Amino acid sequence: MTIEARLPTPYGHICWGYDDPAAFDVRARSYLAEGLAVGEQVWFVAAGRPETLLERLRAVPGFPEALRRGAARIVPLTDAYRHDRIVDPATQVRAYAQATEAALAAGHTGLRVVAEATPLVRTPAQLDAFVRYEHLVDRYMRTRPMSALCAYHRPTLGDRTLAELACVHPQTNSEDVLFRLYACPPADGCAAVAGELDPSNHDLFATTLDRADLRPVDGRLVVQADNLRFIDHRSLLHLHEYARRRDATAVLRTSRSAPARLVELLQLSAVHVETSR
Amino acid sequence: MRTGPAAGFHGYFHEAFCYDSDEEFLAVAVPFLLDGVAAGEPTLVTLGDRTTELIRAALPAEPGVTFLTGAGLYDRPSAAIRSYQELLASLTTDGGPQIRIIGEMPAVFMGVTWDWWARYESTINHAYDGYPLWGICAYDRRTTPAAVLADVARTHPHLVGADGRHLPNGTYTDPLTYLGADRPVVPDPLQLTAALVELTDPSPAQARRAVYDADQGNLSGDEVEDLVVAVSEVVTNALRHGQPPVRFRLWTGADRIVVTVSDGGAGPKEPFAGLLPVDDGAPGGLGLWISYQSCNHVASYHTPEGFTLRLTAGNPHFSDLAPDRPQLVA
Repeated sequence: MTIEARLPTPYGHICWGYDDPAAFDVRARSYLAEGLAVGEQVWFVAAGRPETLLERLRAVPGFPEALRRGAARIVPLTDAYRHDRIVDPATQVRAYAQATEAALAAGHTGLRVVAEATPLVRTPAQLDAFVRYEHLVDRYMRTRPMSALCAYHRPTLGDRTLAELACVHPQTNSEDVLFRLYACPPADGCAAVAGELDPSNHDLFATTLDRADLRPVDGRLVVQADNLRFIDHRSLLHLHEYARRRDATAVLRTSRSAPARLVELLQLSAVHVETSR
Repeated sequence: MRTGPAAGFHGYFHEAFCYDSDEEFLAVAVPFLLDGVAAGEPTLVTLGDRTTELIRAALPAEPGVTFLTGAGLYDRPSAAIRSYQELLASLTTDGGPQIRIIGEMPAVFMGVTWDWWARYESTINHAYDGYPLWGICAYDRRTTPAAVLADVARTHPHLVGADGRHLPNGTYTDPLTYLGADRPVVPDPLQLTAALVELTDPSPAQARRAVYDADQGNLSGDEVEDLVVAVSEVVTNALRHGQPPVRFRLWTGADRIVVTVSDGGAGPKEPFAGLLPVDDGAPGGLGLWISYQSCNHVASYHTPEGFTLRLTAGNPHFSDLAPDRPQLVA
């Protein structure tokens, strides 16, 4: 099951945690087949020899033909991610932006990527940089026709690392990830937050906000929270401090009534709640 | 210079006035107010409709007294404290020597939710002590239950008699002692039925989900949202600061949802827990205070299982089963 936010405009950026490599291959093949069916250029990015990777994708209808005409590419991990030690977020996003524009120029409707990125997030420094990149590329995908399924091997990385990665995707199959922070259309604000924020994820929320590095616009950090089912007082306190450090007011847009009452109760001057029913 | 019996006194002069007739009430209330106005002291009334009308009829036209409705002030004890502190702070900005307020509790608070108002009466000795307040809490003996009068006698350090004499109260009990003991909690009849939901060691998310799932549309959306906030905080506190097992129970009635959260521990050590925001660093203090602000009644008590908090959303004024009231065991 994929936990999806109800997005105002659909775009695809999925975190896929898996235990069984064979099950991942099934998901990857179906994701790539969907892309080919709608005229997208599809990439399969993973570690391993190209022949081996090709074998895993043979069951995708029309894949060999798509490879021949340039609609599909098998990309060794080290080719797609140039900085093989610690990813540079901005450089990496530029590379995918160029690839997306090139795919469009070649007549495709967009770029769709399956990336098995487990080897890129093995150390804390790698993970930190890669999560920053994930949020940055999420913003890009909000504006241009690129989509991605980012796959991570749970037994290799562990639940905490997977949670740090999953929570910066609008969609994930990780049911134990209680909240997600992802890009919203730029006109709508700085980011969207969905799910639930409570003591089980205070630390993860704080880390994720820091990595997302949200930039105020006209002194406001607008956070779309229509799909945020719950936020506790400590998370609001954290948002308050985060906004203050940026000399901004966090504007939380939600359909829930409780956050406004908590903000008033705690007199959080740097958080303004806009409640819509 | 403060006037009246509080002359030379620092802080909150908290006085109870228990009267037997309207004449006795007016004999104390009217001079209290007029003397305050004459002394240039902010002089306020927060009484119910009937006693307000008595006062208005007895005072001269445009007496200089401020009449506040109790509605905004007396919703929930923790909210009342917050509102009064803001009011008192605003009235002391000009450095006046004294503020006078005469108030009373709505009769409905002297029923099955009295336990938290009794705690309020004790807590405010501390909470308002930073202000030069002379406050008279009026109780009509004709309508006030004996158990309430007993608590009044323990929570007010000063008394004024019907003859206008001001006396120290020999039965006054220091708040730290008074609040350190359980207040008698009236069992909600729903608690005597099988719980709709019982969870052991639930995560806060599971407890929140249970509340949303139990919502049958009888309460407003805001009341349900507020209960979810309170439940999340209380379960979090029990898991973090209590002793296992943490037990969550939920009942629904036609006009309310009742949740109890029990753990095997002794409960919060802080005597003002829930009624005042506890300074940073105290375990769970802010969360409990938020819970008290978010429910229409919160009761705390000890049972053989340990410590229990009972949260009520909706109408907390159920019909008491007394005198056949059972003991609360969970």
